[in-house]
Amino acid sequence: MWYDKSLYLFTVPALIVLAVFFVYPISLTVALSFTDSSGFGPSGSVGFDNYESVLTSDRYLRSIWVALKFSFLIVVFQNLIGLIFAAILYRATFVRGFCRATLFAPTMMSFVIVGYIWQFIYSPFGGALNVLAATLGFDGFQQNYLGNPDTAIYAVAAAHIWMFTGYSCAIFLAGFSSISEEVTEAAILDGVSSVKRFIFIELPLLKGSISVAIILSTIGSLKTFELPLIMTGGGPDGATRPLSMEIINSLFTDYRFGMASAMAIVMLIIVLSVSYMQQRYFDHDE
Amino acid sequence: MIPKIRSRDVRRGAFYTVVVVCVLAFVSPIFYMISMSLKSQSEAARDPLGLPSALHFENYINVIEAMNYGRAVFNSGLITVSVIVVVVLLGSLAAYPLARRTGFVSRMIIMGMALGLATPNFVTITPIYIMFRDIGLLDTYVGLIAAFSALKLPLAVFFYTGFIATIPRELEEAARLDNCGHWRTFFFVVFPLLSPVTATLALFVLVDVWNDFTYPLLLLIDPNKHTIMIAVYRFIGERQIDPTLLFPAAVLGSLPLLVLFVIFQRRIINNVTAGGVK
Repeated sequence: MWYDKSLYLFTVPALIVLAVFFVYPISLTVALSFTDSSGFGPSGSVGFDNYESVLTSDRYLRSIWVALKFSFLIVVFQNLIGLIFAAILYRATFVRGFCRATLFAPTMMSFVIVGYIWQFIYSPFGGALNVLAATLGFDGFQQNYLGNPDTAIYAVAAAHIWMFTGYSCAIFLAGFSSISEEVTEAAILDGVSSVKRFIFIELPLLKGSISVAIILSTIGSLKTFELPLIMTGGGPDGATRPLSMEIINSLFTDYRFGMASAMAIVMLIIVLSVSYMQQRYFDHDE
Repeated sequence: MIPKIRSRDVRRGAFYTVVVVCVLAFVSPIFYMISMSLKSQSEAARDPLGLPSALHFENYINVIEAMNYGRAVFNSGLITVSVIVVVVLLGSLAAYPLARRTGFVSRMIIMGMALGLATPNFVTITPIYIMFRDIGLLDTYVGLIAAFSALKLPLAVFFYTGFIATIPRELEEAARLDNCGHWRTFFFVVFPLLSPVTATLALFVLVDVWNDFTYPLLLLIDPNKHTIMIAVYRFIGERQIDPTLLFPAAVLGSLPLLVLFVIFQRRIINNVTAGGVK
């Protein structure tokens, strides 16, 4: 055969880059996670101490809980709202393209910018949401959303959901477009209402798109720290501080490289096992 | 019959209007950002929801100067383009044998790439920081470009391997008959056929690298090397919240990609969702 083994030389440059800047760093993360390294000078081995404090201290357990809650809110609402938009746009042929693109626009923006805009929207000092609530007479909605530990995580999650709803919607619309028109036409002729068509005909056919959207949004939301960092700095009182943000903090404010590495490994295990379980669940379902 | 048709059209029209209004309401924070960016400070405080009564473009001029916008765009552009070049070249090269030889070795490499794709970047951040500091790559363009390239390479290899597998081998056999070696066959026959994937990949990398904020935050120190998102982050973060600074900076930071999105929206959305449908 002409494609002899020497062809593998083509993979060498890519493998070198990946080995140096990807595989080697991961192995170093594992090694560092068993030390008390501060990034400078010699470091001592501490065995599983770092892992023990990640998995037993209230602070880190709470940050794992915040990460899971944050991710759960995002996965549910981003996909639910995206699905509703997709179902409606599927029926609005004439404006579908325009609406799909408009909803997608926030996805093209950076966390930095979305974070600052929403921080201002939530602001108790002339922020859009409070002014809107006051204008419309909903006094109960006038709040310091990001400063209140009960509402802060929902407020930050809402900004994330806003950013990626158009992404979910586009995935669902791609799923809708693979539904054959004959099925829809037959249902319409039989007088099946729009809502029933959605629940009993379209929803089962969208299973593939739904599993993809859920898996992607889970991975995307579990590891994120950018919006909490910008909007609340993790506050108030750690209410919006996910594990990923603890990693950044231990690295660059506390110089606890060993701890940061252990948390990164824990985070990696959480992300991989959650997405593995989802994958298994959806594969099994099909 | 005529009035009946008309009432149906009216219903359709009303439905479309409601849908468009809902969609525009959903993305209203974008309009809010633009509207606020053109107001004077007193107007932003007095009437935060209304449209600007006069267009204060001087907000933009102030921000462009204070944030060193041109420099930041240049830095982001340089880094993004370099990452695209590296990822396209190394990715397509590596994918060629993986698509043409489908044995054990190829399968193992592809599996490794899939793992790389799923690994969040903060798993490698700590050692990359230490490594870069020790070998002098911290605070350099080269270091940041290498880190980004490694992060995006698995995606590139995936894209290219899938695409090359669909290209018939006859063309390469013809080149072979003309005495072309592997290199010439790849660069003159295969690589030009890859341009649709190259375009898709370039868009992906562009959006990710332009918007990313973790790597440059950790790996760059010198303000003259700051990328656009770090410039926005530092510029807004270091000041009291002032809408005449915040919103123009936000618009300026998003503008290049939003313009690109308006031009290529169909291609971008189709590409992003194509991965999802599989």
